[in-house]
Amino acid sequence: MSEATGILRGGARRRWLAPVLWAALLLGACLGMESLQGLFRLVEPDSRRVVYARADFLVLLGRHVFVVAVASLAAVALGVGAAVAVTRRAGRDFLPLVAQLASIGQTFPPVAVLALAVPVLGFGTLPIIVALLLYGLLPIVRNTLAGLEGIDPGVREAARGMGMTGGQLLRQVELPLAAPVILAGIRTSVTINIATAAIGATVGASNLGDPIISGIVNGNTAYVLQGALLIGLLALTVDSLFARLQPTLT
Amino acid sequence: MSDALNPGGARPNVVLLSLGLAGLLAWVVFDAVSVAPNRIVSGQGHGAWDVAGWPGLVASLAPMLAMLALAWRPSRRHLRLALGLVVAMLAALPAWLALAAARLIESEMPQARLGIGAGVWVALFLLLLAMVELRTRLALPRLLGGALLLPPLMSLAVWLASGLEPLALRQELLARRDGFIAAIGEHLLLVGAAVAISLLLGVAIALAMRRWVRCRTLGFALLNSLQTIPSLALFGLLLAPLAWLAAHVEWLAALGVSGIGWAPALLALVGYSLLPMVRNTFVALDEVDTGVIDAARGMGMSRGQIFRQVRLPLAAPVILEGIRITTVQAIGLAAVAALIGAGGLGTFIFQGLGQAAMDMVLLGALPILVMALVADALLGALSDRLRQGAAS
Repeated sequence: MSEATGILRGGARRRWLAPVLWAALLLGACLGMESLQGLFRLVEPDSRRVVYARADFLVLLGRHVFVVAVASLAAVALGVGAAVAVTRRAGRDFLPLVAQLASIGQTFPPVAVLALAVPVLGFGTLPIIVALLLYGLLPIVRNTLAGLEGIDPGVREAARGMGMTGGQLLRQVELPLAAPVILAGIRTSVTINIATAAIGATVGASNLGDPIISGIVNGNTAYVLQGALLIGLLALTVDSLFARLQPTLT
Repeated sequence: MSDALNPGGARPNVVLLSLGLAGLLAWVVFDAVSVAPNRIVSGQGHGAWDVAGWPGLVASLAPMLAMLALAWRPSRRHLRLALGLVVAMLAALPAWLALAAARLIESEMPQARLGIGAGVWVALFLLLLAMVELRTRLALPRLLGGALLLPPLMSLAVWLASGLEPLALRQELLARRDGFIAAIGEHLLLVGAAVAISLLLGVAIALAMRRWVRCRTLGFALLNSLQTIPSLALFGLLLAPLAWLAAHVEWLAALGVSGIGWAPALLALVGYSLLPMVRNTFVALDEVDTGVIDAARGMGMSRGQIFRQVRLPLAAPVILEGIRITTVQAIGLAAVAALIGAGGLGTFIFQGLGQAAMDMVLLGALPILVMALVADALLGALSDRLRQGAAS
C-alpha cells in the first residue's frame, strides 16, 4: 500500500519536474540578470548599459502574468459559460451563430484585434486585458463546443436514465468528459495571450515586452535578448504546466 | 400557445430578435460619427439625431424594425426577406455617413475629418452577425454568402468616390497612398515567401519523418516548442545571430541580410509556419488508405509513380488545409515584423500607435483583417473543391 502511494507520488513528482524547472529558470533569470552582465557585454560591447534597468524584471514579469491571468480567467469563465449556455435547450438557438463566430474569429490576427481595441478603449492596461479576453475567448468557446458536442448521446441518455438532473449531468458527466478538449483550448488561448500581451507593450502596458521594444528602438540587442529570454521562459513554463495537467485529467 | 400566435408554425428567431434589439439600442444611444476640425484635434461625437434630425432618426430605424417583425415569424420566405433587408442596411451605412458629412461639416472647413462612431461600428458588426445567422439558417452556399457582401462594398466604393471626402480613413489613405500600396506589396511578399519556403521545407521534413521514425518525436517536439515562443521574442532573438552573420559572412551581407529587416522576419515566419505545415502534410500522407496504395502497386506502379499519382493527389486537401492555417497565421505575424523594420502594414499600426493617430492604426489593421479573411475564404473554398473532386 505505502509502496503504491510512493510510486504514485514519485510519478506525480516527476510529472511536475518540467514546469518547476522552467519556473525556477524563469525566476532565476529575473533575479540574476545582473550577474549575466559579462555575457550580454559580448553581444553589445559598445553600449553604456547592457542590462535593462528601467524597471525590475520581477515587476515586469508580475505585470505580464497579472494581465494574462486576469484575461485568461475571464475568458475561461465567459467562454465555457457561453459554450455551455448554447448547448442547453434554452440557448440552442444561438449555437450556430456562436459556433460560426468562434471559427471566423480565429482568422482575426491578434495584432489587428489589439490595434482595433486601442481606438475604442484607449491606451494602457485595460485595453490589453479586454483585447486578450476577446481574442482568448475564441479557442475556448470552439473547443468547449467541440468537447460537449463530441460526447456520445448514449452516455447522456444513460445518465438521464439514472435520474440525474440537468445540473448533475453537466457537472458529473459532460464537463469531465469534455475536459481534455476544453483544456487544450485554454492552453492555446493562454499561449496566444502571453505572446500578444508582449506586443501590448507598444500600446502603453508595461510588461516583459518593454525591454524588447526599448531594445529595438535604441538598437540595444542585449535588452531584446533579455526580454525575449524571459518571455520565452514564461511561455515554456506555462506550456509545460498545461502539458502536465492534460494527461492527469484524461 | 405560441404556436397559435404563429400560424407559420415556427418559433420567433430569438437570435435575430436579440441582434436587432441590440442594434437599435446602439444606433440610438452611441455616437454615429465624430467630427474633428483637423487631424490633430480629437473629434466631437454626434448621435444619430444630430445626423438626421428626429424624423430622420425614426426613418432610419424602420428597416431594422421590419427585420424584427420578419424574425418574429421566421418562415423561409420571411428569412429571405430579412436577409435582403440586412444587405440593404449594410449598403445604406456609407450613405448614412455621407449624410452625416453633408450635414455636420461646413464647407469652410477643408481640413475637417469625419470619424466613424461606435454606433455605426456596432451596427456594422451586428448586421454582419445577422447575415451570418441568416446564411446559416437558410443553408446558403459559401460562395453566395460572399457574393451578398458585394452590394454593400459597391455602395461603399461609390460613396467614397463622391460624398465621403471628409472620412478620416479616406484622407489618411490619400495622404499615404504610395506608402500604403508599397506596404501591402511588402506584406504580401513576406507572407508569400514564408508560405512557399515553409511548404517546400514542410513537405521535405514530413517525408523525412515518414522514412525515419526517430526523426518524428524529436521533430514534432522541436517544432512544438518553437510554436510556444512568443512572436515578439522570436523576432528579437533572431536579431543578434543575423547581425553577427551579416557582419562576418560577406555574401549574406551582400544579399541584404542584417539583424533588422526582412531576413529575421522571414526566418521567424518560416519557423512558425513549419509546425502546421509539417503536421498537416504528415497526417495527410499518413492517412491515405493502404488499400489504395496496394492496388496501385498491384497495377505495377513504381514507388515514384505511386507517390506522385496516388498518394500526393489524395493528400492534397489536407495539405491545402495546412497552407490555409499557415497563410492566415503568417498574415497576422507579418504585422509584428514591422517592429523589426521588415515593413508591411504593421508599420502603420505601430507608427499610428506611437503618434496616437487612430486613423493610421485602422489603415494598417483593417487591410490585415480583410487579407486574413479573404485568404481563409479562398483557400477554404479551394480545399472544399479538392475534397469534392477527390470524393467523386
